[in-house]
Amino acid sequence: MELRISDFLKPEAVMMDLSSKDKISAIKELVEHMVTNNFARDREELFNALAKRENLESTGIGDGIAIPHARTDAVGDLVLIFARSSIGVDFSAFDGKPSYIIFLIASPENKKSEYIVALAKLSRLLRKSAVREQLRNATNNKEILEIIKKNEE
Amino acid sequence: MKIKRLLLYLYDPGDKGIFDQVVKLCHTFESQLFVLFVLEETRIGQVARMTREKSETIRQRIEEDGWEMLYLVEDEAVESGVRTSLHMEEGSVPGVIKKYVEDYGIDALIIKRRDETKKLFISSPVPVIGL
Repeated sequence: MELRISDFLKPEAVMMDLSSKDKISAIKELVEHMVTNNFARDREELFNALAKRENLESTGIGDGIAIPHARTDAVGDLVLIFARSSIGVDFSAFDGKPSYIIFLIASPENKKSEYIVALAKLSRLLRKSAVREQLRNATNNKEILEIIKKNEE
Repeated sequence: MKIKRLLLYLYDPGDKGIFDQVVKLCHTFESQLFVLFVLEETRIGQVARMTREKSETIRQRIEEDGWEMLYLVEDEAVESGVRTSLHMEEGSVPGVIKKYVEDYGIDALIIKRRDETKKLFISSPVPVIGL
């Protein structure tokens, strides 16, 4: 069965207003949200895995988007978190622009192919300027989920 | 010896066989790895004509294959501590490569030896490592 981003993105995984301004604080805020909502079981392990990737090269892919990601057994299944920032987060993106839409993807070590496919599908989706604009203008988490679902069809 | 920046150009999933060598190369020469996939309209058109599918369907498939390859390289590179950035571009391959060489100071291009990449040995503005 084909993997769909909308099947993995739960309403409680949507954060409409991230308060952090830099990438490390933003990742900490995302990790905290994941642990609080039972998406992850080990705060420190998850943060370290995401920070390790981030320290090698930024996951800010430009056009106001960042996709921090890692494979780690701090999560039990493939997890997607959507976060939006009204002030923008400095993810050291190649184009120098702050990130307003942040998608975090984490998966257990043994789910590499699902993880790669999810990253690929999400990256393709977010290259569309219309999708980025809709996500920035959405007013609640239900709309975010609908936008993702509609644009995957 | 150090080679600061290497650019790996990917053509299709057949290139997966060289990922391990590329990562080892970057590790040995302490290189930062730029991984590039280019969406070419001519290629999309050719496949669409051959398969009689819509161009948009082909574009979607080629782009997703491209992203998958980019993230597969990255996954291997991160394990080895190699600094890696992923790039999805549109246009003509020689033109995009030339732009990357100029914009990011690329020292050498890595490609898998195949018919589709033969021309890059001639057009590349930097030395080419064919694997």
